[in-house]
Amino acid sequence: MTVLTWKIGGPAGFGIMSAGPMFAKALKRSGYSVQGYPEYPSIIRGGYNCYHITFSNESVFSVYKRCDILVALDKVVFDNEDITENMTVIADFDSIKLSEDIVCKKIHIPIKNILKENDFPDIVKNSIALGASAKLLGVDENIVFKLFEESFPAKVVNMNIEAAKKGMQYCENVIQNNFKPDDKVKDYLVMTGNEAIATGAIKAGVGFYSTYPMTPASSILHYLAGVAEKYGIIVKHTEDEIAGIIMAIGASYAGVRAMTGTSGGGLSLMTEGVGLAAMIETPLVIALSQRPGPATGMPTWTEQSDLKFVMNISQDEFVRIVLTPGDLKELFVMTFEAFNLADKYQVPVFVLTDKFLSESHFCVDNLEYDGLEIDRGYIFEGDESKPMDFFPRYKEFKNGVAMRVNPGTPGGLFKAPGNEHDDFGFVATDSKTRIKNQERRFRKENYIKDELPLPKLYGNENAEITFVCWGSTKLPLMEALKFTEKFNFIHFSAVNPINWEDVKNIFKGKKLVAIETNFTGQLASIIAEKTGIVIEDKFLKYDGRPFFVEEILDFVERGR
Amino acid sequence: MKAMEFNSGKIPVWCPGCGNFAIWNAIKGALADLELNGKDVVNVSGIGCSGKMLNHLRTYGFHTLHGRTLPVATGVKLSNHKLTVIVNGGDGDGYGMGAGHFIHAIRRNLDITYLVHDNHIYGLTTGQASPTTDKGLKSKSTPSGVIDEPLNPLAVALNAGAAFVARGYSGEVEHLKELIKEGINFKGFAYIDILQPCVTFGKKYSYEYYDERIYKLDESYDCTSFENALKKVWEKDKIALGIIYKIQKDEYTSLHPQIKEKTLLETTGKIRDISEELQSFK
Repeated sequence: MTVLTWKIGGPAGFGIMSAGPMFAKALKRSGYSVQGYPEYPSIIRGGYNCYHITFSNESVFSVYKRCDILVALDKVVFDNEDITENMTVIADFDSIKLSEDIVCKKIHIPIKNILKENDFPDIVKNSIALGASAKLLGVDENIVFKLFEESFPAKVVNMNIEAAKKGMQYCENVIQNNFKPDDKVKDYLVMTGNEAIATGAIKAGVGFYSTYPMTPASSILHYLAGVAEKYGIIVKHTEDEIAGIIMAIGASYAGVRAMTGTSGGGLSLMTEGVGLAAMIETPLVIALSQRPGPATGMPTWTEQSDLKFVMNISQDEFVRIVLTPGDLKELFVMTFEAFNLADKYQVPVFVLTDKFLSESHFCVDNLEYDGLEIDRGYIFEGDESKPMDFFPRYKEFKNGVAMRVNPGTPGGLFKAPGNEHDDFGFVATDSKTRIKNQERRFRKENYIKDELPLPKLYGNENAEITFVCWGSTKLPLMEALKFTEKFNFIHFSAVNPINWEDVKNIFKGKKLVAIETNFTGQLASIIAEKTGIVIEDKFLKYDGRPFFVEEILDFVERGR
Repeated sequence: MKAMEFNSGKIPVWCPGCGNFAIWNAIKGALADLELNGKDVVNVSGIGCSGKMLNHLRTYGFHTLHGRTLPVATGVKLSNHKLTVIVNGGDGDGYGMGAGHFIHAIRRNLDITYLVHDNHIYGLTTGQASPTTDKGLKSKSTPSGVIDEPLNPLAVALNAGAAFVARGYSGEVEHLKELIKEGINFKGFAYIDILQPCVTFGKKYSYEYYDERIYKLDESYDCTSFENALKKVWEKDKIALGIIYKIQKDEYTSLHPQIKEKTLLETTGKIRDISEELQSFK
């Protein structure tokens, strides 16, 4: 039950964010389970970037605070990291002069000289460091060279291979581990949460994705834009988030599976659009990747602080589905299912993630499942005998849901109005219609509830304490569970609407501790509202970082 | 369909004498003349008296939020480019709240027709100043008189690179109908500013005011000249009606290979094989 951790750090612009994930892949291809966690400021040059990898021959779920091997490409690393005695530090100690009181296991690589002697550009520093790291950890050099071939332009591949070889020369295979590489793992996927969302959407037949870039959601936009022509998707970077969501609603109204994605600030702008989608009962999937706020907040850091925002977003009351997946598989499947739910129930569906889950790399065996099927819900196919007739688009067909109509359908004419309306979509403000509509629209909740997953218990049933979490906090808890039986945890992968009576049963007899990365304990607050159960004990973190495994183990040991 | 057949059957609630009746007739006439079928037409409406046009047309309709007509229309047209998409909004809706979308819709040059009912006032909300209200006008929201310069939306459109800029007048229905037909037939973003007196809250811009100043551009006018167009939209005292500027530019849907053959609606929404994507993560 051991892991090793490796970290590479340097100023922004040094290529940390390509070297890190590449090394994670190299370790995975060597047969180790990996998890990679980036930290970076919102700047192009300077500052401090680092990428932290945890790996083991057993499944690794989440990030540790500890760093066993540190690759320091610049002095800035020593200003930002706590160097400990047991840490192995790879650096050019000729160029970086450390004060005497910093003690660590030094591996000196004369990076500056290597660059100079070989006439290498500065950017290959990374490759020198990766070569050294590979040697140090017993990663086959050919795995590294192959990754270079896959990642770099052909003309610089050889130069990087040469650089890596130089790095290897200064490193003996000194880190001993008792990990037995697992051949199965070599075939696993290493991907980010946002990549799981994007591939889930592609699988689900998404046709239209429009938004404005906002960290940490932007990589969904980038991924889909990159494959748009290949899969026939239209992807739009719009003038602002308002246009982003409204354009997606227009596309959905026209019958296409549409999605938008953003972070909290962008969602603030999209708020009116969420209400519009709800009022005209047009399906819409919204990926929300949370970051600390309010306002600009901490753009490149993580927090789970928008749950209550989406639970109450936009004026008045309407049904919205809130999904809170906690790992790659859940992200993928729930994004896929989000489109089905949106189509079947004609409500906005949120898929919540956060910077930690969105941008970190995780290992997963596979994401291709049997049994994923598309359900577009009730659609009126048309009536050629009376092509110019209006159709009761908002008249209940089943379970509170009315039949959708794609414009162009004969005999399906209707108006999609932001106003309250009659069955055909014409403005109506009489009390009878309003009551009928509100009751019909809310009736959908009864049926959605039965489709959404209930919170799930992980770990030993009779543990002393039970953490209650949602979204990505599942991951550090999964990792911490490897070390102790003192706790178990309940993870909500969906928050609304669910059967709260069943939740009460799941909670029965447990000493509950809310664990969330926000200041107030937002899920705990929702639980109190929905069940009357007040969770007094809260373990909350709001510094922009996810829970590190050590922090959870400390909390459990202290018993608070 | 005949023009009459485009009536939805709902009785309009515009004030007697409102220019919207004329615009309504011009739209119905244009759709009939072009032999369009109501089921293939989507009318996207903004908020305001102009937006109520939606209720009176026997077409598909989308009554969006204030200022958000053009993003809806863009989403609809890109998703099913076989549809004819017409947008009706007012000066408050399009030049105030929706000004940003206006500029970007021009940049895209998508094949939609944008009709702005420009009455220089907020009618539905009972008479506040709009972005095209003249300086000095006292309104409910500017009791001491407007101190902001009025916007010249046609000049904005020209300078943003619009390929089809026209001006119509609700007092000239036949002329307006022909303009709308030209707009619908134009392969690109057709923008028509429609002068329209607000008979209840408008003060200066009455039928008399316009009747004294309007004139129609005729064949002697070269609407492909940008200089001509700029001069026309900055004219004082006289008001030119007609197509002020029209050039050919790449139409937006034609720049999307995804929808070259079939509509997005026809090609998406089916389960996809993503094994190639997943392979790249190994």
